[in-house]
Amino acid sequence: MTVQRLLWRHRALIAVLVRRELDARYRASFLGFFWSLLNPLLLLAVYTVVFTYIFHPRFPGGDPYPLFLFSGLLPWLFFSGAVLDASITLVDNGPLLAKVMCPPEIFPAVTVLAHLVHHLLALPVLLAAMAVAALAGAHPFPWTMWLVPLALVPWILTTGGTVLAVSALSVHYRDMRDLVGHLLNLFFFASPIIYSLDGLQVPSLLRRVLALNPLASLVTVYRDVVFTGEISSFETWLTALAVGVISWWLGARVFAHYRETLVEAV
Amino acid sequence: MRGAIRFAGVRKVYRWRGRRTRHETLKGALFHRRLARRAAAPEEHVALDDIDLEVGPGEAVAIVGPNGSGKSTFLKLAGGILRPTSGSVEVEGRVTALIELGAGFHPEITGRENVLINGMLLGLGRREIEERMPEIVDFAQIGSFIDQPVKIYSSGMYVRLGFAVAVAVDPDVLLIDEVLSVGDEAFTRRCLDRLARMRQQGVTMVLVSHDLDLVTSFADRALYLERGRVVAEGPADAVVARYRSDVAGGSDDRQPDLGRARMEEEGKRWGTGDVEIVSVESISGSATQRLIPSGSPCRLRIRYRVKQPVEDFVFGIAWHRIDGVLVGGHNTDLDGLVPRKLAADGEVSCVYDSLQLAPGDYLLDVAVHARDGLAYDYWRDAVRVRVTSAVEWPGVWAPPHRWECQGPEWESE
Repeated sequence: MTVQRLLWRHRALIAVLVRRELDARYRASFLGFFWSLLNPLLLLAVYTVVFTYIFHPRFPGGDPYPLFLFSGLLPWLFFSGAVLDASITLVDNGPLLAKVMCPPEIFPAVTVLAHLVHHLLALPVLLAAMAVAALAGAHPFPWTMWLVPLALVPWILTTGGTVLAVSALSVHYRDMRDLVGHLLNLFFFASPIIYSLDGLQVPSLLRRVLALNPLASLVTVYRDVVFTGEISSFETWLTALAVGVISWWLGARVFAHYRETLVEAV
Repeated sequence: MRGAIRFAGVRKVYRWRGRRTRHETLKGALFHRRLARRAAAPEEHVALDDIDLEVGPGEAVAIVGPNGSGKSTFLKLAGGILRPTSGSVEVEGRVTALIELGAGFHPEITGRENVLINGMLLGLGRREIEERMPEIVDFAQIGSFIDQPVKIYSSGMYVRLGFAVAVAVDPDVLLIDEVLSVGDEAFTRRCLDRLARMRQQGVTMVLVSHDLDLVTSFADRALYLERGRVVAEGPADAVVARYRSDVAGGSDDRQPDLGRARMEEEGKRWGTGDVEIVSVESISGSATQRLIPSGSPCRLRIRYRVKQPVEDFVFGIAWHRIDGVLVGGHNTDLDGLVPRKLAADGEVSCVYDSLQLAPGDYLLDVAVHARDGLAYDYWRDAVRVRVTSAVEWPGVWAPPHRWECQGPEWESE
C-alpha cells in the first residue's frame, strides 16, 4: 500500500495524534494555544526593531525588510521545525511502535501536520502585519495572499518527503540528528530567506549554485504571494511543485526501504 | 468470534551491524560495504528458528522457556509488530497484545485522551471507544483520575488503565506477556477473572509466563522454547512437567507438584480397571479450560473406556479446596440415576448451571465405581481448576446475592 493511502486510511487516528501533540505541547502553560500566535508576533517584533534601527539590509523589492524577512522565514520555520522533530519522532514513539501494531508512517505525518498547524496559526500575524504596513503606506497590501494554501502545497510535499526520509534514517543512524541540524543551517543561508536572489551582489558562479537550491523556488513562490503581492512565473511554480513531488516520492521510497526494520532498531 | 494463528517454518533473526558502537552510524553505512567483505559478518542472533504452530479459534496456548528463549519475539510476530525473517505468520481476527501495559501512554495528556488514542491504535473507531469509556474507567478503578494527565498516575493506575483499554477492544486474539505479574494481588485477580471470561467467549489466547501454575490452569497446550527452538509441544501439563524437570536439572529434590503427581498417578488412582477413566475435562463456555469464572456455567466431561462390561456402576465427582477441605460431591446414584449397563466406551458430563464457588484452586476426584463402593477407577485429584472472580470472596461459597436496605446511607458511585 502506498504511503498516501495508508495515511488516508488512518486519518482519524492521525487527527487525534496531532491534537495530542498540540495539547501536550501547551499543557500546563498559562497562555496555551496563544503561544502559537505569540511566538511569531514576538519574532516579528524583534526583527522590526533590529532591522529598522540597527541594520538596514537593502534588496530590490525587499522593503520593509522585517516583513520581507518574516514572510520568507515563516514557511522555513515550518519546514525546519518539522524536519528537526522528524529525527526523534519514531524514537519517541518507540514504545507505541514496539507494543502496538500500528503503521509507522503515521508518526512522521503527525509531525508534519502539527507543524503545519503552528504555521497556519502564525498566518494571522502575517496578515495583520501586512495590513498595518499597508495602512502606514510602507508597502502595498498583497491581495494575492489568499493563494497561500496553493503556495503551501509544494512546502507540505517537500516537508513530508524530507520528514519521512529523516525519520526513518534517524532510527538507524543516530548521527542524523546532528547532521540534520547542520544541513538545515546550510540550507537556511543557501535559500533566499534573508536575501533575495535578484539583489545579490555575488560572483555569478555562486549565484548559479544558489539558484540550484531546490528550496529557492518554494521560498519565492510563497513570498511572492504573501509579501510581494504577485504570482510567480509559471516555471517557478512548476519547479516548486516538481521539487515537492520528487521529495515526497524519494522520502516515501527511503521510508519504505527501512520500514520493516524500524521496530527492531527503535 | 474467530481468531487463529498459524506459524509455518518461522525464523526470526536479529542483526546488529555495529559491533563497538551500540547505534549504527552513518560512517558505518558509507564504508561498511567495502569493509564488510573483509571484516567479520554482522552479528546475528537467531531469536526463533523453525517454528510451526497452529492455534485454533478459542484455544489457549502458553509459551514457556527460560529468558531469551524467544517467547516475546513469538508474541511480537503474532502481533504483527515484527515480521519473520523467513516462513509465514498468519493471524485471523483482531489482535491485541498485552505487552508492557500502558507503554504507549503520553504522560502529558489525560487518561481519557490516552485511552482514545490507544483504542484507535488498536483499531477501534472514535465512537466505539467513547461508548466503552465508562466500562474502561470502571475496570481500571481510577475514578476521576481519568481526566488527569497520565504523568501523575501511580504505576498501578497506569497498568490498570492499559489493561482495561486492551481488553475493551474485544479482540479475537489476545497475546499476553507476563502482564499478570505486574499489578497488585487484587488487580491480578480481576485480570485473571476477565481473561477467564474472555476465554469463555471463545477468544483465542497466547500466554507467555514464568508462572507455571498459571500456565497449567490457563492453557490447553503449551510450547516449550529454548534458544529459539521448540523443545516440546503438547498438552500444557506434560510440557510444563518437562520444563520443570529441565529447570531442576533432572535432580530428584524438586518440589512435589500436582501437575506431575497427577501424571505419575501413583497412590492417586486405584480400582479394578474394568472401567477406566480416559480423561476429565472442565469446559467453560465453548472451550476446555481450567480457569472458570465464578458464577458462570461449566461442565465436567468424563471420558471412559470399558474393558469389562458392568451392570452396577456409579459416576461420581468430589470437589476439594486446595487445602483439602471437602467442598462438595455428587454422583449419579445420589442423583437417582439407576444403572443398567455399561458396555461401550462413552462419556458422561456433569453440568453446573452456575458454579458458585469462591475464587481459588480446587481439586477434583473423579471416579467410576460399583454401588457398594468397589472402585473400577478412582482418580484422586484428576483435575485441578482455578475459579476466578473480580472480588476475593472468602470461604468456598460465592452465591449471587444483593443487599436490600432501609436506613443506611451509602456513598453513591
